[in-house]
Amino acid sequence: MSSTTITVDDLTFRYPGSDEPVLRTANVEIGSGEFTAIIGGNGSGKTTLCKAFNGLVPHFFDGTFEGTVRVGDTVTTESDVSTLSRTVGYVFQDFENQLVQPIVRDDVEFAAKNHGLEDYEARATDALEAVGLGDAADRFIWELSGGQQHLVALAGVLAMDPEFVVVDEPAAQLDPHNARETYEQLRELQQDTDVGVIVIEHHTEFIGDYCDRLVMVADGDVAWTEPVDAGLNRVEALVDADIHPPQVTQIARQLPEGDGTLPDGRYPVTVEQAVDAFPAAASEERRPVKVDGHGFGECLISVDDVTHGYPTLREGRTTVLDSFSVTLYSGNRVALVGANGAGKSTLLRLLTGLESPDHGTVTVLGNDTNETLPEELAEETVYIHQNPEEMFVEETVREDVAYYLENRDDPDVDRRVADVIDFLNMEDIADRDGRLLSVGQQRRASLAIGLATDPTVVLLDEPTGSLDLQSRREVTRMLSRSVTRTETVVVATHDLQLVAEWADRVVVLGPDGVLADETPQSVFEQPELLARAHLRPPQVVELSDRLGIDPPSLTTSQIVDRLTTQGGR
Amino acid sequence: MGYLDALRNITITDIKLDLMRTAYDNDDALLNTFDPRVVILWSAIFVVVPWFFYEPEPLFVMLVASLLLAYLSQTSIYLLTLLIWGSVSNIGFIVVLSSAVYWWQGGSGGLQGAVVDNSVALLPFTMKLTVISVVSLAAFSAMSPKKLAKGMLSLGVPRPFTFAIAYGYRMMPVLLEEYHDLVNSLRLRNRAPENRGLLRWRYYRYLLKLSVKAFYPMTFNVAKRSRVTVEAMETKGFSHSLGDEDSRELRLGDLELLPRDVTFMLVSLLFVLVVAVFL
Repeated sequence: MSSTTITVDDLTFRYPGSDEPVLRTANVEIGSGEFTAIIGGNGSGKTTLCKAFNGLVPHFFDGTFEGTVRVGDTVTTESDVSTLSRTVGYVFQDFENQLVQPIVRDDVEFAAKNHGLEDYEARATDALEAVGLGDAADRFIWELSGGQQHLVALAGVLAMDPEFVVVDEPAAQLDPHNARETYEQLRELQQDTDVGVIVIEHHTEFIGDYCDRLVMVADGDVAWTEPVDAGLNRVEALVDADIHPPQVTQIARQLPEGDGTLPDGRYPVTVEQAVDAFPAAASEERRPVKVDGHGFGECLISVDDVTHGYPTLREGRTTVLDSFSVTLYSGNRVALVGANGAGKSTLLRLLTGLESPDHGTVTVLGNDTNETLPEELAEETVYIHQNPEEMFVEETVREDVAYYLENRDDPDVDRRVADVIDFLNMEDIADRDGRLLSVGQQRRASLAIGLATDPTVVLLDEPTGSLDLQSRREVTRMLSRSVTRTETVVVATHDLQLVAEWADRVVVLGPDGVLADETPQSVFEQPELLARAHLRPPQVVELSDRLGIDPPSLTTSQIVDRLTTQGGR
Repeated sequence: MGYLDALRNITITDIKLDLMRTAYDNDDALLNTFDPRVVILWSAIFVVVPWFFYEPEPLFVMLVASLLLAYLSQTSIYLLTLLIWGSVSNIGFIVVLSSAVYWWQGGSGGLQGAVVDNSVALLPFTMKLTVISVVSLAAFSAMSPKKLAKGMLSLGVPRPFTFAIAYGYRMMPVLLEEYHDLVNSLRLRNRAPENRGLLRWRYYRYLLKLSVKAFYPMTFNVAKRSRVTVEAMETKGFSHSLGDEDSRELRLGDLELLPRDVTFMLVSLLFVLVVAVFL
């Protein structure tokens, strides 16, 4: 197979209006026929580097451009974006905005038609087949799930028969299940067709499982390029860039010398490798699993025999929750988990009173939501939207935090706002427009808006969605702290690492109602239950299972303790 | 009782869905089965035709025909009701006002007579307006975005404009969702008036205020998003296609006039002719 190479020579680029260049004499070579991951901290210039491959830099963003970028024999400065895009396809991080036609097929054909390619229909059909969306060709884009939309964006790129596909942070906007599906697709594509796949990625666990080569971008330069196994072993360099190595690699590092390494002296980077490297653990005496959630404290929320659904365009009314009942007590830290469409968000919205159940009753702090306006329920309950942007209605974060208090004529607005901002440690962003912050900062601001109302019940929808690991850690820490200020926190999430570290009660929703309502410990002991709910346990749980550690460890420090005591037996 | 319940059960979700159905689910809509150029031309003609009639009878027949057509084209009931309510209340207001003036000036026949006279005088005008609105609503909401854009492109409308139509259809549900979310988000952070007033007017005024306020953040969010869209359009070769003959050819290649298109046009014209001659 002939292969093409992207060659970057001494590339320096400065965005107009900025003093510092984002890229400084960067050099790298990426061949097609490989699965390459580009990694780097926030603002390290990795996205800019990738946008230089298809000419968006410098043709679209005109700044100061020095050095050369060549795709095969073509020098990007001598070509243009639409021509280069036929060789280097790009799937953006917010891929929804990349889809510009109402119907799937039209969007996939769009580029081919623009270039006047007569076989556009065949191209679209093949591309849709390749990503497994053959059946969805005539559907409306907005009817599709996020994961499917991502695949449509990918198909749109594949329809041009590119030699490279650049995918910008697929795991950031997709839930873990869909992100894994996307990676499976990308790997298959790369192996079957010899297309070079380049992903920008924070999640080292995906990199370990799927990629061949790792390119580290730091401070506007390509710091190093390594095969993935070796690259993920440069733990210090990763941590310096705010990137967490895979859990198994972290565990290996914390184990006593020689205990956690592979025969060649390296740390394992996938669960598979870890199973070979780590010492086997004998079973520990089982502690009884404590029954959870019931009889703890006062009953705050009861959902009683609720059936609720939505009308749809073509399939009539779909029922999301069917005869669903649950009771939440004070002091609970509840995680709602389950596949997309299982009703997590619907349940949260029912608790806010914004929607009334079709049948059954929802009682929040003694108020029947059917009889109470959402405004009144919001006195004690706060709902933090999945997409923080929907919570910013004022011009600065500070005004947004104050908004509720001012509307309720609180006598002490300034002090309470200052208090919350101080509590969440966000003095630095308080006077900026919420919409212009990074996603991690937005998430913190949305939590501040919620906490300022001094709620008894906090409802959070996907608080760790699309966060890099640094922001994720901060949000988790904030969640733990916010519990001290509230009675009950309910989190709808896909993030099982969050569940393992934070929750004390897990409600698993499946297509037919509640699959389980137990402690995290006992949920993680049932791999088949997780699989049914489209959930994937954190690496540490999977590793415990494979190593026969029973009950499974939920955090890296737990498993390190277990393995070291085993080691010292 | 049943009627009231039905009214109360109309939720925002239902209205949203009905609008979506009008805009998107047009596979079976009658007007969507014809060549888009014919439909555009046809609606242009029927926006003018009612102005040549002055008697209530032919206008009434046309109104019925246009409503039938709207029904066959699956136009939103909510939209139609809103539209008809708009024309009727508008004209009703004129009737009330003019009758009051007439009566106050001491015209003969008293108030009642004035109302009847004025209503009859304004009836044809009302019907003309209604026919026009129903016809254009039916035509433009029945055509799928793809057809509409294609039709306009072939009639010489510039491509950036026809693209905007398709893009609008793509984004509308997203915007609707986002707007709804923003209004909800505002509701949870505001206080509803305690004293709701007669027919809860204070409460409705409050909701109205929030729904206006939600526009600002929405515009901002959209502006932020469109940045990526513009970049993506570049990579998809949109600007390349603007001057490209091959690309235009591909886009319009499969448009052709079928006998049924011509029949549709002829039958419509014949209908008008019959109405004109016999009524």
